[in-house]
Amino acid sequence: MKPDAQQIGDLLALKRHERPPEGYMEDFLREFHMRRREEAMAVERGPQGWWKRFTAWIGEAGAAKWAYGAGLGYAAIAAMFLMAERPTQVEHSTESVRWQVVPAAPDASVEQLEELDLRPESQGATGDQEF
Amino acid sequence: MPDDTQQPDPDVELVARAREGDTRAFDALILRYGDKLYGLVYNMTSNKEDTHDLLQDIFARAYQSLPKFRGQSAFYTWIYQIAVNMTLNFLKKRKRRSGLSLNELDSAVQNDPALVDQTHHADPERQSNLHELQKRLNEAMMHLSESHRAVVTMFDIQGMPHAEIAKILKVSEGTVRSRLHYAHQQLQTHLQEFWEKSS
Repeated sequence: MKPDAQQIGDLLALKRHERPPEGYMEDFLREFHMRRREEAMAVERGPQGWWKRFTAWIGEAGAAKWAYGAGLGYAAIAAMFLMAERPTQVEHSTESVRWQVVPAAPDASVEQLEELDLRPESQGATGDQEF
Repeated sequence: MPDDTQQPDPDVELVARAREGDTRAFDALILRYGDKLYGLVYNMTSNKEDTHDLLQDIFARAYQSLPKFRGQSAFYTWIYQIAVNMTLNFLKKRKRRSGLSLNELDSAVQNDPALVDQTHHADPERQSNLHELQKRLNEAMMHLSESHRAVVTMFDIQGMPHAEIAKILKVSEGTVRSRLHYAHQQLQTHLQEFWEKSS
């Protein structure tokens, strides 16, 4: 046997009395505020916070803001100019290379051979060799 | 139950103060609707930790969006819309992320009844029966689709009228009634076994 629709409704209605545990909502509230503070601090530290502080400072600077603005603009342009990538320069020398042929120095062993007296009369006869 | 079709919004003053940055006024709104929204989210997610985190996100979203709240509906309806939409989105993501099966969810529900029935603390036997019934009901509820579960939670558990539910879900009253009818049939089938044993 199935419960009818009315009985299902009555069963589910019992759950109306269910509540989170006692003290839950107070703890929940504390955590809620803690999370909001953490989020606010994260925003303050991030780019949004910097921008907010910058615009606030500009707002408070009065007429001097134009001078600051011009100075900042000039600094930005100068920084861009300095940081811009320049083409690397390759040095091309137009001076011609000087050269001359230097005769090689005669080999010492060849000089020794040339000094030798190789004439037949200076060589003696066969069998006349003295030991 | 606030009904913005007949009565002026009872939260107008608190909402106005909260919009001007009065955090105590927003705290009062959290305390006024926290329990009901907890019930709504818990009955849809069946998980204590998810309910807690989602509820924090819901109130944070409401707090951030308060400047956009034009008062065209009651604050109650507006924050319920935020809660239902965020919970349905969360359930879709959870299903995709973990591929959690119904059986796994059922065991979580059985072992983790997060809500406490405060009307029957004095009668242990009745409390035990209600505890068992709660488990069975949660189990049966988890077999419903998210949209059917939302309608059952708001109508049967929280006692909201069809018109209010239709406004929150941005569907017709006829759709709410037909979803309820289908969901009741599903619950009847799932509770049949327990019903036979207990009767």
